[in-house]
Amino acid sequence: MNAAGGSLVAAHAGWLLSALLVVPLAGSLALLALRQVGADLAARIATGITLLTLALAVAAGAGAAPYDRPGPGAQVDAVWIPALGVHWHLALDGLSLPLVLLTALLGLLVCWHVVRVRPVPGRVRGLVACFLAVEGGAIATFLARDLLLFFVAFEVVLIPMWFVVAFWGDDRQRSGYASPVAAPPPIGERARRDAANRFVLFTALGSAVMLLGLLFVALRTGTTDIDVLAARAAGAGGGPGLSGTEQTVAAALIVGGLAVKVPMFPLHTWLPPAHTIAPTGGSVLLAGVLLKMGSYGLVRVAVPVVPDGVRALAPVLAALGVVGILWGGLACYVERDLKRLVAFSSVAHMGFVLLGIASLTAVGLQGALFANVAHGLVTGLLFLVVGALKDRHHSADLTAIGPGLRDRLPRLGWLLAFGALAALGLPGLAGFWGELLSIAGAWQSGSTAGGAGALGALGRPLAVLAAIGTAVAATYMLRVLRLVWQGPARAPTPVGDGVPPPVTMGDATPHELSVTGPLVLATGVLGILPWLLLDVTGPAVRSLLAVVASAVGAAP
Amino acid sequence: MSPLTGVQHVDWLAVAPVVAPLAALLAVLLVDAAAPGFARLRHVHDAIAILGLVAAGAAVVRLAADDADTATACVPGGGLEVAACSFAVSALTLTLQAVVIGAAVVCLLLTLDGPGARDRAPHHVLLLAAVTGATALPAARDLATLVVAFETATLPAIALVALRRDPQGAQGAVTFLFTALASLGLLLLGAALILAATGSAHLDRISAALGDPSLPPRVRAVAVVGVLLAVGGVAFKLSAVPFHLWTPDTYAGAPLPVAAFLASVSKAAGTAAVVVLLTIGVLPLAGTWAPIMGLLAAVTFTVGNLVALRERVAVRLLAWSTIAQAGWVILPLAGAEPGGPAQARAAAAGAVGYLVAYTAATLAVFAVVVVFARHHPAGEEHAVQAYRGLARREPVAAAILAFGLACLAGLPPGIVGLVAKVVAVRPVVDLATWPLALAAAANVVLGLVYYLRWAALLFMPSAGPVPTWRVRTAEGVALGAAGAACVALSVWPQLVAGVVPGALR
Repeated sequence: MNAAGGSLVAAHAGWLLSALLVVPLAGSLALLALRQVGADLAARIATGITLLTLALAVAAGAGAAPYDRPGPGAQVDAVWIPALGVHWHLALDGLSLPLVLLTALLGLLVCWHVVRVRPVPGRVRGLVACFLAVEGGAIATFLARDLLLFFVAFEVVLIPMWFVVAFWGDDRQRSGYASPVAAPPPIGERARRDAANRFVLFTALGSAVMLLGLLFVALRTGTTDIDVLAARAAGAGGGPGLSGTEQTVAAALIVGGLAVKVPMFPLHTWLPPAHTIAPTGGSVLLAGVLLKMGSYGLVRVAVPVVPDGVRALAPVLAALGVVGILWGGLACYVERDLKRLVAFSSVAHMGFVLLGIASLTAVGLQGALFANVAHGLVTGLLFLVVGALKDRHHSADLTAIGPGLRDRLPRLGWLLAFGALAALGLPGLAGFWGELLSIAGAWQSGSTAGGAGALGALGRPLAVLAAIGTAVAATYMLRVLRLVWQGPARAPTPVGDGVPPPVTMGDATPHELSVTGPLVLATGVLGILPWLLLDVTGPAVRSLLAVVASAVGAAP
Repeated sequence: MSPLTGVQHVDWLAVAPVVAPLAALLAVLLVDAAAPGFARLRHVHDAIAILGLVAAGAAVVRLAADDADTATACVPGGGLEVAACSFAVSALTLTLQAVVIGAAVVCLLLTLDGPGARDRAPHHVLLLAAVTGATALPAARDLATLVVAFETATLPAIALVALRRDPQGAQGAVTFLFTALASLGLLLLGAALILAATGSAHLDRISAALGDPSLPPRVRAVAVVGVLLAVGGVAFKLSAVPFHLWTPDTYAGAPLPVAAFLASVSKAAGTAAVVVLLTIGVLPLAGTWAPIMGLLAAVTFTVGNLVALRERVAVRLLAWSTIAQAGWVILPLAGAEPGGPAQARAAAAGAVGYLVAYTAATLAVFAVVVVFARHHPAGEEHAVQAYRGLARREPVAAAILAFGLACLAGLPPGIVGLVAKVVAVRPVVDLATWPLALAAAANVVLGLVYYLRWAALLFMPSAGPVPTWRVRTAEGVALGAAGAACVALSVWPQLVAGVVPGALR
């Protein structure tokens, strides 16, 4: 956008940023209220609203450019709850822009997906209303610059997502399904309820614990503004800061709460059932958007506000991240249900994000932010493909889908292969850079040469283990391709008595290609031109690390 | 004080929120005496009762507009004694009075065509009497006024429960009566011990006496015992565990609008008594009572939530939910510190702020439950499962119910509930009492389970035929008002977070 356009956007930044979250939320309410609207129209209205949101996000992103200036490019700040000092403070900078764009894109795709691919229980209007509410809440989370506003936004997504999993959940688990590592999961409404409850209870507990930490920070410092707090943690600006012990306590509460959402091993147990049971669009939003709220919270809130505390916890965070990488990878290696496998691979991928953040190096943080976006794109793509395969086979069992997908359903087969290769971190695709930079960050952080890094002696062993994790990822993804993609084509497993016929037959429709196309394109582009994203996040990361560095110097 | 008669001067505007319901009560009695049982007069009774409450509300608004603390019925200071008043009007007083009056109007509107319709005059008289006590409580600044106001708020409520006139109603009323009598004993004994220890009935003087470092430890111990007994005496009204056992039976036995009254007006009265007594009267002893209130809160919301998880009957689930919520109301008091006026203010503001949010949300839920019960074959004993599919038939009522439940759970879209929980847990976090704060965090999740389960039922496909509702005007107004209050408070949470500005008086 040219300079005149940029200044035009900057002049209206306040309205633009508020509109970014108000448009989807208001659209959600309107869709809930419009009872006469049919399924098709509701999905199309929601698509229109998300398209408008994406356009607003692009405009705001262009208006907030360039991203190498200090401070946010666009912001709005108004008093909301004076008694608690809470401000309606939204801002867009290099950390938040990629995630806002990712959320807007995935929101558009899941609504557009519903236009043709209807959920089995019907009631499309409610489903897209929930999607819109999740999108609005997530964008609000990525824009909020006030601790309590961040918390409120963080909570907005819970109830809509609960409804998505509990009402539109995909309980088409075949009775033949058997997990080699656990008892067979419950079937039908109980399965949906179980998964939805587990999701909401885990994450609500996490955010309640995070709230305690946020309140503690707010009470000890007298402000809830994240920018002010970051300035104080860096030793600049007047007003009380936090002592070392207080920082550790606050960081433990905040990081512990956010770690549930990321999720960090061993707090990840809500994720596989929720991602597996959720309808395709719900899985895409869970993996692509909700998990990012946790990792974004770590970068946006925990690191700048309580840098010393995060530094103290960094080895634990990194170690658990690496455990997640290996555990998720090994679970994937024995998993037979493809959707569950993708869900477990999320645990592994988010382990890289945790490792990158915990390294507290520029390279590592860049890697974490890159992996965040890449994981959203790639896992979103994989869930869409797996959902399409499940629609055709009534099962996501590897033996039910494969072998011979390459010959039987070539378009879906290639999409799956592309997603799997991106997920295992093939160089040239988006998944590669995030993992590489995270491991490099951990390696640097373990350096003892120029002042001890955050991870100390643990850094290099963890980097090696994480590198082994990428090999595990290659193994399990290639196993999937061997079982499903390759091999002789044969007729799909016959459907038993009383099971409804498949939702869709045949190869990927043009509509399905139009849903997955943007994700394939973005994955490829970011894989070849990673600096498109790195240049946006770079300055923000450097100023973030300046806070951490000066906090180490300023710590009493 | 008039020097000749010894009668204290009374500022009539200041006491108008208390006097207006009382005047309406007398008017209803007079009309009923003039024409007993005359059916045509039922609308006159209704009108008088509502007018009395509206007049009280107008007086509260007028006093709030003055924005100045006043006090009346004072005795001058002299010698070692500080000047002291029996009746004070402050932000704390006016907020609690507004909650009481607003909740009473909603409960009255719910009753007009409801199960209590045949006992119109007695119902109105009893309700107005209880409201008189409940509006006097937050203004009471001496032990005698406090005890009398407390009992005025309690005893008529017992008779209200008995209005259902069936065995279950009688059982509920008797359970309530026995608990109330035992609690009255505790309260009186506690007040007597405080009086004995400090030599004064005025809260200002009690506070001054207890704050005097030369007070002998033994005398202080007597005062501590008095405070604990008095707290036990008023805790039953809040349904704080272990004084909660009457609650489920009484809620189930009372006509539903009366249960709503117990959950809102009675709870507000209990909050007023606890907050006034603890944070104004015996703040110097906060070192002793604050941890005890914390323990009480933790036990109350844990027990309430755990039992509510297993309840299947709507009104009993609500009863246990109000017990759990009572824990949240008293939770902020655990953050009070002796000699910390700012902490005491935050604690009182937390309790009252949470009460405001809780009252709006719980009335919204009760309003829907009352109308639902009228249309359900099982009546007031209907199960939560009966709400399956309500959103299809009654979208507005279902939306209000779902929003009310979200507010009680404290999750968006019920932002008011979330802000209220922030306000309630703030003093505890400030004091860094982590076990209590973590218990509160865990209870957010426990409560979420059953509120969300209920809310989800509304949107499920219905199992059987659902009768079409005929919502009466009064019920519609009550439903709309409670729902609108929840929405308004969610948009402007400042109304919950900033209820007690300035000094605590």
